[in-house]
Amino acid sequence: MVKISDVRQEAKRLLEKGKVRGVVGYVPGTRGGWAIPYLIQEAERAEQLVWDPTCVHNLALFVVEEKKEQAKQKEPDKRPLAVMVKGCDSRAINVLLQEKFINREEVVLLGVSCENSGVVDRRKITHLLHGQQAGEIRFGDNGNIVVVVNSERRIFDPQEVLADRCLECQYNFPVVFDYFYGEKIKKTPPAPYAQVEKLESFSLEKRRQFWEEEMARCLRCYACRSVCPMCYCAECVVDPISFAVEPTTTAEEKAKKIKWIEKSPLLSENFVYHLVRAIHLAGRCVDCGECERVCPEGISIRLLNKKLEREALRLFNYVAGTDSQAPSLLSTFQETDPEDFIW
Amino acid sequence: MNKDHEPRIVAFLCKWCSSAGSDMAGVSRLEYPPNVIPITVMCSGSVSPIYILSAFNLGADGVLVSGCHPGDCHYIKGNMYARRRMALLKELLPYLGLEPERFQMSWVSAAEGVKFTQIIKDFVAQLKPLGPQTYLRRSL
Amino acid sequence: MEKILKKSDLGKWVGKLSAFDCYAPTKENDHWEFNQVTYLDSLPEDYTQVNVPLKKVVLPNREVLFNFEDNRNGGPHIQEVLPEEKEVVVFGVRGCDARGVALLSKIFSESSPDIYFERRKNQLYVVGLSCYPLPGDNCFCLSVGGGPFSTQGMDILLSDIGRKYFVEVLTPKGEKLVELGWEFFAEPNDQDRQDRLRREKKAQEMFNLEIHEAEKKAGVLHHLFEDKIWKTESFRCLKCGICTYLCPTCHCFDIADELASPVPLQGKRVRVWDTCQFPDFTMHSSGHNPRPDKSSRLRQRIMHKFLYFVETYGEIMCTGCGRCVSKCPVGIDIVNILNRVESHEG
Repeated sequence: MVKISDVRQEAKRLLEKGKVRGVVGYVPGTRGGWAIPYLIQEAERAEQLVWDPTCVHNLALFVVEEKKEQAKQKEPDKRPLAVMVKGCDSRAINVLLQEKFINREEVVLLGVSCENSGVVDRRKITHLLHGQQAGEIRFGDNGNIVVVVNSERRIFDPQEVLADRCLECQYNFPVVFDYFYGEKIKKTPPAPYAQVEKLESFSLEKRRQFWEEEMARCLRCYACRSVCPMCYCAECVVDPISFAVEPTTTAEEKAKKIKWIEKSPLLSENFVYHLVRAIHLAGRCVDCGECERVCPEGISIRLLNKKLEREALRLFNYVAGTDSQAPSLLSTFQETDPEDFIW
Repeated sequence: MNKDHEPRIVAFLCKWCSSAGSDMAGVSRLEYPPNVIPITVMCSGSVSPIYILSAFNLGADGVLVSGCHPGDCHYIKGNMYARRRMALLKELLPYLGLEPERFQMSWVSAAEGVKFTQIIKDFVAQLKPLGPQTYLRRSL
Repeated sequence: MEKILKKSDLGKWVGKLSAFDCYAPTKENDHWEFNQVTYLDSLPEDYTQVNVPLKKVVLPNREVLFNFEDNRNGGPHIQEVLPEEKEVVVFGVRGCDARGVALLSKIFSESSPDIYFERRKNQLYVVGLSCYPLPGDNCFCLSVGGGPFSTQGMDILLSDIGRKYFVEVLTPKGEKLVELGWEFFAEPNDQDRQDRLRREKKAQEMFNLEIHEAEKKAGVLHHLFEDKIWKTESFRCLKCGICTYLCPTCHCFDIADELASPVPLQGKRVRVWDTCQFPDFTMHSSGHNPRPDKSSRLRQRIMHKFLYFVETYGEIMCTGCGRCVSKCPVGIDIVNILNRVESHEG
């Protein structure tokens, strides 16, 4: 079991000694006790840190955000940022290290292991509780999830309530860390690519129909992109005008910006947006599943990323975020890479 | 479906091999279908997947990416990076329901004018029965 | 005008409305959306609230304004495109969504009429459904001038009173709909009226979320432009558009030219949803961005709803639907923020 008091103590010590400029962790939210990401800067607030199955967010995102924020400051605080990381968060950190977006000294990683459990899927909980509000959600024994509803304790099997991403996860403990809390329990999910394979078994026509229904719902709120720690580009191909316009950008440079896709949520444009995103995440996506969690329309975005994750494994024996020293999937090659598809 | 549809192919040809190969086909007076819109790029490794998606988005019925044979790349290994990238895209597009025939990659050297014409002939023949590509095509 | 409609007669009445496009809440995956239906036998018992609010009917996320074309000889040619002439009835609209459209009318109809919005609104018939029990845990309409049985922005309000609906016909448009199926409507008796009232009272007691003295927030917010709450609360903001795209009153848009062909020039000018939460929303062409960070954008969202709109139109631009609270992926809670700022006064 992760002892949250240990995490709090370390966070407090780091803040008191001024070793870090802040601690990004989970604190209780306002509605129904669901955790929220929070930047703690005063040592006494470290007591607020929590670790429970509602800690769904990938906090590596805030490492990216903070890095960008500091870059804008006239006198940036050069001290590292401490972050609570789960298994998937730590793999995202690994990718950021691998791509040299951050240096290892910029972060202090408080690794928390999900052990034999994981984080819950809000929709599954809502469904099981028939819309009743959960008062508290915490880890029970043997990976079970304890949900308190109207002061009644209910115990759920992880299979019932955990997010799909956790049920399919093979890295349920941090792979890069400075402090490790809890136990490293190796999990072998029975069928991590079952949903991808199911979709592949459909006919081309049926797959097309499936994706048309999914993509037609996209509102282009860009929550999937915004929540992704890997989507850190200053300039995104989907933006008709770009963030990277500076006061020094000339009119010619602006005129040359290519508008790849239209802003309208037309089916074709939604397709191109999601395809571009998927391919940009090939070999980088660590399947933290945040994109799918945040989607207000419940689009199966993970099915896209999972497909490429499996192809990276099948074709190139590559798993993202496991080794920050190895070259990334698309910045390297093997002589023996498959080419039977090439004419 | 309109079987008489003349497919439009966007071909990204690397300057050093495949584009030269298409020139070779030209100077050798080899005939091939006029359905292809060639775009010369410096290297197959410089072809971003968004070029391909954008071609489909703007109405291409098929997209070809062609580079130097392994070992012949002017930039030593650009084509090898392309091979990885395109392998993923080749898997991804049919997964979303786009006919797998619509996207092809080939190795064509500067000397292979004959191979180039054959590839275009085969590609056109494959695309014809599929009719127009409307799946990713922008229609306002 | 008050009427009674047996639940079993709803389908028959809707059957008489074949001249209209009828929309009703249907379940997609895990959530409800307004979708076109060819028949409607009943309003689903488990219906809560649609995901994308009613505003999508009057302010669709893509509105074509006009077509343009440069036919070389004749010069540029512009062809106006107006929304299709089609009357639309939407069933099962909650009070918050109907009020949302009413508030949007202040902007798009009253101060400077927008022909696209006006046409869509004139063609829209809103058949509301009162809220008992409340559709969500995060409802707070009572704090912002609405209520579970609010009728603002509706043509008809249906209230479930057991086996029948208590029908309040509120506008001439509502009367028109009822007249088309007059044979299914009966006169209510005192018992029916009491049933409806009793439910309304009960519903009002069910709220577990409230903004304290929401109408006074404008006065408080006035002094909080530089407050540090914006920074602490926005740290976790993702800069996505969920809170605003799903808001019944948020209405910001972008105008874009979409080209069907560059030569000869041919395309459409469209209006698409945009949001103050996107970093490029306020980006000037000079590269200067007056709202450069997340905190200024969160502040804008709240200030616009509870201060600027109040100053301009005398009403709060929030209908308390609770979507932004429920749907925010990082738990940014407008009610909590507003309740906390009261202590900052002075």
